[in-house]
Amino acid sequence: MPLRRRLRWLTPYLFLVPGGLWLIAFFVVPMIVMASVSLQEGSLGTGYRLTWNFAVYGQVINEYLLQFWRSGVYALSVTLLALLFGYPIAYTIAFRGGRAKNILLLLVILPFFTAFIIRTLSWKLILADNGFVLGTLKSLGLLDQSFHVLASPIAVISGLTYNFLPFMVLPLYVALEKIDPHLIEAANDLYASRLQAFLRVTLPLSMPGVFAGSLLVFIPAVGDFINADILGSRDTTMIGNIIQRLFLNTNAYPEASALGFVVMAVVLVLVAIYARVVGARELTVG
Amino acid sequence: MNSRPMSSRGLIVAATLVLVAVAGCGIAAKSPTPAATVSPAPTAPPTASGTPGASGSPAASVTPTATAAPTSTAAPTPQPTPAGQVIFGNWPYYIDVDEDTGANPTLDQFTAQTGIDVNYLEVIADNSQFFGTIQPDLAAGHPTGYDVIAPSDWMIARLIRLGYLQPLDKSQLPNWQANAQEVLRDPWYDPGNVYSIPWQAGIVGIGYNEKLTGRPITSFEDLLDPAFAGRVGLFSEMIDTMSLTLLSLGVKPQDATPADVQAAHDKLLGPAQAGQFRDFYDNAYYDALAVGDLAITMAWSGDISQMQLYDNPDVKFVIPDTGGLLFVDNMVIPNGAAHPIDAYRFMDYWYTLEAAVPLTEYIGYFSPVVGVQEQVRLDAQAARDAGHPRYADKLDQVAADSFPTAEQLANVFDYKKLTEDEERAWNDLFDDVLNG
Repeated sequence: MPLRRRLRWLTPYLFLVPGGLWLIAFFVVPMIVMASVSLQEGSLGTGYRLTWNFAVYGQVINEYLLQFWRSGVYALSVTLLALLFGYPIAYTIAFRGGRAKNILLLLVILPFFTAFIIRTLSWKLILADNGFVLGTLKSLGLLDQSFHVLASPIAVISGLTYNFLPFMVLPLYVALEKIDPHLIEAANDLYASRLQAFLRVTLPLSMPGVFAGSLLVFIPAVGDFINADILGSRDTTMIGNIIQRLFLNTNAYPEASALGFVVMAVVLVLVAIYARVVGARELTVG
Repeated sequence: MNSRPMSSRGLIVAATLVLVAVAGCGIAAKSPTPAATVSPAPTAPPTASGTPGASGSPAASVTPTATAAPTSTAAPTPQPTPAGQVIFGNWPYYIDVDEDTGANPTLDQFTAQTGIDVNYLEVIADNSQFFGTIQPDLAAGHPTGYDVIAPSDWMIARLIRLGYLQPLDKSQLPNWQANAQEVLRDPWYDPGNVYSIPWQAGIVGIGYNEKLTGRPITSFEDLLDPAFAGRVGLFSEMIDTMSLTLLSLGVKPQDATPADVQAAHDKLLGPAQAGQFRDFYDNAYYDALAVGDLAITMAWSGDISQMQLYDNPDVKFVIPDTGGLLFVDNMVIPNGAAHPIDAYRFMDYWYTLEAAVPLTEYIGYFSPVVGVQEQVRLDAQAARDAGHPRYADKLDQVAADSFPTAEQLANVFDYKKLTEDEERAWNDLFDDVLNG
C-alpha cells in the first residue's frame, strides 16, 4: 500500500525523466563547462587552469559594450518590424483565410524548407551592388552608382526580420485564431467602431501571441551572427560575431564563454522585465 | 508543491552544487601539456628526421612507424604495410574534378597505383576555425581522425610550437627529395622541413576589377584611396592583413617590432572607421569581387587567375610595389594519425608529375614540384595540335599565371613566426580594426 501510494506520487516526476535527462545532458552540463571555461586563465601552449578569474566578465562587458548595445538595438528593431509585418499577415490568415488557411500557413513556413544560410546568401546575390535589382535601377539612372544596400545596418536588420518573421506570425496566428468572432460582433453591437473593436477586443486578446512572438524573434536575433556576417560590414558587428571570432579565430575561450553568459544574463533580465510589464498578466488572460 | 521557505534553501544548495561542479570541471578540463602526454609524438629533435642513406626507392625505406621516432637507419626493419586507407583534410576547390563524373582523377590514380583508398574531406575553410575544431583533440592526446591535413604556413608554425605534429621520415618521401622546388624547401615556418612538405603555394597581393577602379593598381595605398571607399576588401585572417600592411610601411613582417604592429594598426584604423572597407573577408571575397561588390581587395593569386578564366574577365592580380606575401599550404601528419604509412605514400605521390600536372592544370596554383610549368606548356601545345584551342589557351594561362616569375618572387616576403604572446598582441590590435 505505501509503496503503491509512493509510486502514484512519483508518476508525474517519472514523466519528467526523459526531458530532464535531455536538459541535463545538453543544457546543464554544457552550461557548467562553459561557466568553468569562462573562469579559467592560460594559453594554448600551457593549457588553461581554473583560477576563478571573475574579472574577465568586467573586461568583456567593457570591451564589447558597443556591440552589446548594437545587438540590442538591432534585435529590438527586428522585433518591432516583425510585429508590424507579422500582425496583418496573421490577422488576415486567422479571420479571412477561410479554406486557404492551411495553405497560407504553409506559405509562411515554406522558406524554412531552405537552409538558413542559403536564404541569407541569396539576399546577398539579389541585393548585390550591380546585381539584378540595384544594377537595373542604376543603369536606369534612378540610383547613384555608389548606392548600396549590402554592408549596412539596413541590410542586417532586414535580413534578420526576413529570417525570423515566421516565428512572429505563427504564435500570433494561434492567438488570433482562438478569438471568438462573436466577441467582435458583440463589440460592434455595442456601437464600437471597427477600430475600437480591434483596440479594445482583438488586440488585448491577441497579446499572448504578441508576447510569445516577440520573445521568439528577439532572443535569437540578439545572438545571431550569420546575418551580420553575410549581409553586414565592420560597422554592423554584433555580439554573436564577437563570440564566434573569439572562440574560433583567436581561441580566446574564457572571454568567449564569459560573453556568452553575459548575453544570456542580459536577455534573461530583459525578458523578465518584459514579462512583468506585458506578458504575465496577458498570458493568464489567454 | 514547493513551499516558499524550502526554495530559498534549495537555491543555496543548488548554487553550492553548481560551484562545486564548476570547480571539479576546471580540474578535469585543465588541458594537459600537449606534446609530452601524447604518445605517438616523438619529442626527438630534428636530427631524427635526417635518415640519410635511404636509396630513394619507396619500397626499400626504413622505420616507417610513426609511433616511434624515426631513429637510426642501421637496424633493418620489416617492410611497411599500408593499411589501405588515408584520410586527407583539405581546403575546398583544391583538387581536380572530372566535370562529367564528379570523380577526382588524381585521387583515383593514386588508389589504382597503391591500393590505398583516399577519404578526401574538404574541411578547412579557414585556418583558425579548422584549428579550433582539432585543437581540443590534439590537446587531450586524442586522434583527430585525419592522417594528412593541409593548413597554411603560419598555422604549421603554431602546430609545431604546440607539439601537435609528427616529424617526417624523409626516407619515406623520395619523390619529395628529388622533385621539390628549391624556393619552397627549408621554409621559415618549418626549417629543414622536419614536419611538413608543401601542398600548393601562392601569393597574397591585390585583386581588382579594372572596370570599377578605372585605372591600373600598383600599390597598397590604393586600398586606402577614398575614391574606392566602401568598395575595398581586406582579409579577416589577421596574419595576412597585418603582414601586408607592415610591408606597406616598409617593414618586413619577420622584422616587425611591437611599435611596427601598432603603426600597422593605426594605419588601418582610421580608414576602417571612415568606412573605407566594405568588410573583412574569408573565402567570400571571391564572390564579392566577381560580382562587382568590391572594386579592389586583398586576394590570393590562384583565385584571381581562376576568376579571369571562369567568372570575370575584368579582374587582375598585382603584387603591391611594397611587396606581397608568399603563402604555402602544407601536408602534415597530425598526432594520433591512424594510417601513417599510407600518409607517407600519399604525400610523396604529389611529387610525381603524373599527379602534380593534372592537379595544377585544374586548380591553377603554384605547384611545389619541379617541371610542372614546363609540362603544362607542353600539354597546351599538344591540346592546340589536337584541335582544342580553348583548352590550350586555358593551359597557357595557367602556365603563365600560376608560377611567379623570378622578378615577382623577389618582391614577396615570408610571414613572421609568432610566439603565443605575439599572436595575442597582434590579434588584439587587429580585432580593434576589425570590430566596429
